[in-house]
Amino acid sequence: MRPRNVRSRLTVWYVLVLAGLLALYAGVASVFLLLNLREDFDRNLVKDVEIVEGMLAKEPSGGVSLHASRPDASEPRIGNFIEVWSPQGALLYRSAALQGQSMGGPPLQDEGLEDPSPSTTRLPNGTRIRVASSVYFVEDQPVLLRVAYSEERLWGELGEFGEVLLLGFPVAILLAGFGGYALARKALSPIDSMATQAKKISAERLGDRLSIENPEDELGRLGTVLNDMLGRLQAAFDQLRRFTADASHELRTPLTAMRSVGEVALQDHRGPEEYRDVIGSMLEEVDRLTRLSESLLTLSRGDAGHVPLRKEHVSLLELAKGAVASVEVLAEEKHQQIEVQGDESLLVSADRLILRQAIINLLDNAIKYSSTESRVLVRVEGAANGEVCLEVIDQGTGIPSEHQPYVFDRFYRVDKARTREWGGAGLGLSITHWAVEAHEGKISLESEEGRGSTFRISLPAAQRSSTSSPQGGLD
Amino acid sequence: MQEEKRQLRILVVEDEAKVARALKEGLEREKYEVVVAPTGEEGFFLVNEQEFDLIILDLMLPGRDGLEVLATLRKRGLQTPVLILTARDAVEDRVQGLDQGADDYLVKPFAFPELLARVRARLRRGRMEQPHLLNLNLADLEMNVLTRNASRDGKHLDLTAREFELLEYLLRYKGEVVSREMLAHSVWKEAVRATPLDNIIDVHINRLRRKVDEPFDRKLIHTVRGVGFVLREES
Repeated sequence: MRPRNVRSRLTVWYVLVLAGLLALYAGVASVFLLLNLREDFDRNLVKDVEIVEGMLAKEPSGGVSLHASRPDASEPRIGNFIEVWSPQGALLYRSAALQGQSMGGPPLQDEGLEDPSPSTTRLPNGTRIRVASSVYFVEDQPVLLRVAYSEERLWGELGEFGEVLLLGFPVAILLAGFGGYALARKALSPIDSMATQAKKISAERLGDRLSIENPEDELGRLGTVLNDMLGRLQAAFDQLRRFTADASHELRTPLTAMRSVGEVALQDHRGPEEYRDVIGSMLEEVDRLTRLSESLLTLSRGDAGHVPLRKEHVSLLELAKGAVASVEVLAEEKHQQIEVQGDESLLVSADRLILRQAIINLLDNAIKYSSTESRVLVRVEGAANGEVCLEVIDQGTGIPSEHQPYVFDRFYRVDKARTREWGGAGLGLSITHWAVEAHEGKISLESEEGRGSTFRISLPAAQRSSTSSPQGGLD
Repeated sequence: MQEEKRQLRILVVEDEAKVARALKEGLEREKYEVVVAPTGEEGFFLVNEQEFDLIILDLMLPGRDGLEVLATLRKRGLQTPVLILTARDAVEDRVQGLDQGADDYLVKPFAFPELLARVRARLRRGRMEQPHLLNLNLADLEMNVLTRNASRDGKHLDLTAREFELLEYLLRYKGEVVSREMLAHSVWKEAVRATPLDNIIDVHINRLRRKVDEPFDRKLIHTVRGVGFVLREES
């Protein structure tokens, strides 16, 4: 089963890894100990072989015996077990300690010819012994000498060592487990507190932020990232809230007009002409609502990416001239002059209709907010960074700096009461903003109150390879 | 104008009672015989039972969807022209409607003069022969489309190209109310009626008025408040 929380999972991993390491350590230490003990053992054994060699004597009968003054006293000092064999395989001597057991039987081929390298074997009764063999000449007669110690004590020591390790193992693991758990808990506790705080932050209380103890560590960075995200969310929510409020305001205005016009008309009897006028007035408001819904639809389809752009290479100046031609009558009515300047050869890749509408909206805006007999300048020029810019410069009322960040927001109006008389719904600049961004461009505003405004559209320049197609503009 | 041999019959398939009633009354005023079906099933049944010259079909219907009805009818070989009314906005829906065999579509909320214009265009009756005329006139207003000459009471009118086209359109629809939408589509060739266009249309109408009506006693260009403009002799 997989533990549910990170804390337990961390602890389990910690304990498992620690247990593995401990087991490895115990194994290596045991082997090392064994080798170490054996080295001592073997050194003594080789020494004893030499001693026993010195004690060998030939008996007159042709046998070999250990030359010792007191046979019973000689054995404890040297190896416990001694065997002497003739090369032919006849047992010449066997120490009493062996109790008649054989240490590996008759001599093997080449046994004892090399250095006496001890090896471990077992006696028939199961006792582990360490045997060193050597060939020795007793008065020209070669004999094979085997000297051995019991290894039981050595294994006993090793076993004790193992037992100690084995006893300590669960204790160490248990301690490590508790320690690891506590450590993981402490390390992860900021996450818990972040989660608790985050739970309290709702759409209504987006202003709250997570508290961060140390912004430099990993969790602090996570908290900072989350707080940044909350900031963006808050901005989006604020914008949405403003939009909803403004939209309902925009909807309520024509609805109120329709309602009061209709209700007042029904209060008493009137002639057909008057009723006609009332209905006409209500239809005007309907028209306003219709256009509002159409503009909103354009924007929402733009947001959803449902508006396919039919891009082609277009001369931005030509497009601007076409747009100016469309709205020129509006400027003429106010005795304003629209002047167009720029380089005809600057091309952008754009959807003619959509970009044209974007420019028309800017021009319409400039005409609306400029006084009579003022000038509007439209300028197209190339920028150093491979962009083409279009500027619409008016000498109008300008936009106060506190309103400037919001002018592209939907329904945003600088002066809510004054601008309605023009009939716009406050969506023109939003549509322009969308259109420019859909063309991977940027739109910006520079404005000084009382001096006029400059809207600037920057679009990536198109390759000059293809020629611009004829302008299908309107006059 | 030639005598009508029989009244033209229109089937309106529309579930919204108010809209259906307005359509019925408005079309009956134009001397059409109108039958209303509030559901797709009923519309389907009526088409199989009776003969119609035009079907006005709402797309969003309870029960059977308008497009479904249309597809079935076309599969059965029905030739009657179909004008779709849709509150849906996605272009794909419109294209789909035309693929299913619709002849034309109007997006709700539509302007009634526009609906009438579309209906007439589909039925190709009487007045619609006027678009092919080269000489148009109303009272003492005369226009030759070929020579691009317009005059009133024998006096030449000095019109810009746009003003000429505007007057031509009003003359072709003389006696009928022309909405701003219709002007935007037909004279300005704009797909979308964006905000400044209404003001532009109004300015042009005013200028046209100054040239066509102001110097004369009898006014021909009239504004129908909330609906549009009409070129007619006031009796």
